[in-house]
Amino acid sequence: MVIVLNPKEFKLPRVEKEKFVLLIRLGLDYNRELGLFSIKNYNNIEKLIDTVSGILNTEVVFSQTCIRCGKDFPCTDCKYNELCTTKDLPFSCVCPKCLTDRKQFEEYLEKF
Amino acid sequence: MSNDLLWVEKYRPKKIEDIVGNEEAKAALIEWLKNKRRSKKAVLLYGPPGVGKTALVNAASKGFGFSIIEMNASDSRSEKAINEVAKPATSYVALDNFSSANKGKGNLLFLDEVDGIAGNEDRGGVGAIIKIVEEARVPVIMAANDPDIDKLRPLKKVCLLIRFHQIRIPLIIALLQKICLLEHVKAEFEALERIAQNSKGDVRSAINDLQSLAEENHALILQDTMALTSRNKDISMDDTLRGFFSTKSVTEASSLLSRSNVDYDEFIMSVGDNLPRRYSDPEELAAAYDFVSQADVFRGRIGTENWHLLKYFFNALSRASAVAPESYKPFELISPPIRIITLFWTKGKRTMLDGICGKIGAQCHVSHSIAKHDFVPFIKIILQNTKSSSLIPWFKFTPEEVDFLLKMNRY
Repeated sequence: MVIVLNPKEFKLPRVEKEKFVLLIRLGLDYNRELGLFSIKNYNNIEKLIDTVSGILNTEVVFSQTCIRCGKDFPCTDCKYNELCTTKDLPFSCVCPKCLTDRKQFEEYLEKF
Repeated sequence: MSNDLLWVEKYRPKKIEDIVGNEEAKAALIEWLKNKRRSKKAVLLYGPPGVGKTALVNAASKGFGFSIIEMNASDSRSEKAINEVAKPATSYVALDNFSSANKGKGNLLFLDEVDGIAGNEDRGGVGAIIKIVEEARVPVIMAANDPDIDKLRPLKKVCLLIRFHQIRIPLIIALLQKICLLEHVKAEFEALERIAQNSKGDVRSAINDLQSLAEENHALILQDTMALTSRNKDISMDDTLRGFFSTKSVTEASSLLSRSNVDYDEFIMSVGDNLPRRYSDPEELAAAYDFVSQADVFRGRIGTENWHLLKYFFNALSRASAVAPESYKPFELISPPIRIITLFWTKGKRTMLDGICGKIGAQCHVSHSIAKHDFVPFIKIILQNTKSSSLIPWFKFTPEEVDFLLKMNRY
C-alpha cells in the first residue's frame, strides 16, 4: 500500500523521543496545537521520507502542486516518473493535464 | 534585443518569479534575505549545475536592491585576492548609499563555485572566506555544485545550507514551450519532451539545445532532436541505491545502473549490505545474494579492460533488485558500505599492528604476514603470562604497543 501525504500537513503516530528528534533534525516542523507535521527544510528530504515510511511501515509519497492550476496530484500520473530524480518528493511541478493543454498554457503565459 | 544573443542570456530570469522550479529553495533564500537578525551570516546554495543558483542570486539581489559583488571561478581566489576584493565590500557601507538617488540596501557578496577553490593558486581561500563571513556586515551568498568535499566542511558550519534539486522534466518542457512561443518557433511537443529528457534537469543545456535546433528554421520536429547527444549526469551513490531497490523490473534497474557513474565495487558492497533490509523473506534474500555473487564474478572478469562484459554485470545485479518487486517498502539505507566504514574506524588499530609486525619482522627476519599470523598470537600469550617479559625490550615495543597486544581480540 502507498500512502500519499500532503507536505503542508500530515499526521504521524506517536513516536519515541529519539525518533521525534530525528524527524525534526531531518526537516519536519510540528504544530503542537493541531498535532500536525509539515516539511520545513528540504535539504534531507530523501532521508526524511525513508524515516516517515519506516514509522508508518508502508511506502510514503508526497503530493505535488501544479504551478499552473494549483491542484495537488501524485507522481504516479506523470509519464516521466521513471526518469525523474525527484519523483514523489514534494516539489512544485506541472500536472500532466496542464502540460498538454495548450489553452490553459496560453492563459498561464498571460499571467507573466 | 539583439538576434545574436544566446537564448540562455536572453531568457535569463530577471525576477525571482521567473526562475523555474526549486520553489522551496527560493522561499528559504528570500526569508533569509528579508530577515535582519540572521542566525547565520552566510548562505551556501548547493545543487547540480544549470538549476538556477546563480540566476536566483542575481534576481534576488535586484529584487531586494542589493549591489552584487561577485567572485567566480574565473577569478583568483587566494587568501590575498579574497581579502582585497571581498573584505572591503563586506566591511564597509558603499559610498553610493549616501546618495539620495540610491535607495539600495548596500552590497551583497556572491562567491560562485566555491567548490572550485583549489590548488596552489587559491591557497588559503576557504579560511579567508570563513573569516569574512564571521566579520561580514552584509549578506554573503555562496554557490557550489558539490558541498560534500572535505575542504568545504568548515565553511558549511558557518552557513545556512539551501539545497537545489534537478529541474523536473515537465517544468523544463513548460519553459521551452514559453520560449518557443516568444521566439515564434513551431515545435512538436514530442521534440520538446526529448530535449527536456536529454537535459537531465539542466535548464541551461535544454535552452542551448533548443536554440541550436530551432533557431534557424523556426520549426522543430522530433526527428531534428535525434542528433542530440545524451548528457550523462552523475547520479549519487545514495540516489542510485534508492532507485535500484525501488525498481519494478530488471530493465529499469539495468537502465539506472548504466546511467549512474558510481564506483561498481563500492556499489556491489552497498547492495550486499542493504539486501537484508530489502528482503525479509529468507528465500528471496538467498536468491538476491545469489545474483549479487554472480554479478561479483562478472565484476572480477571485467577487471580494468573487459568492459564489454559490463552488461552481464548490470543484468546479474539488476536481477537482485527485482527478486520480489511487489514486496518493496522504503527503508533506511546503509551507505557507505560497512566494509569501508569498518576500514575507516580500524585504521588506527591496523597501523599499530603493522608497526608491531614490522618490529617482529626486523628482529626475526620474517615477512609482515608471517609475523602477523605466526608470531603475534604467541607473543600475546607470552605477554599475558609474563607482563615484564624480556621480549619487550628485545622487540623494542613501546608501552602503547604492549597495551594494544594485550587488549587485542583478533587481528
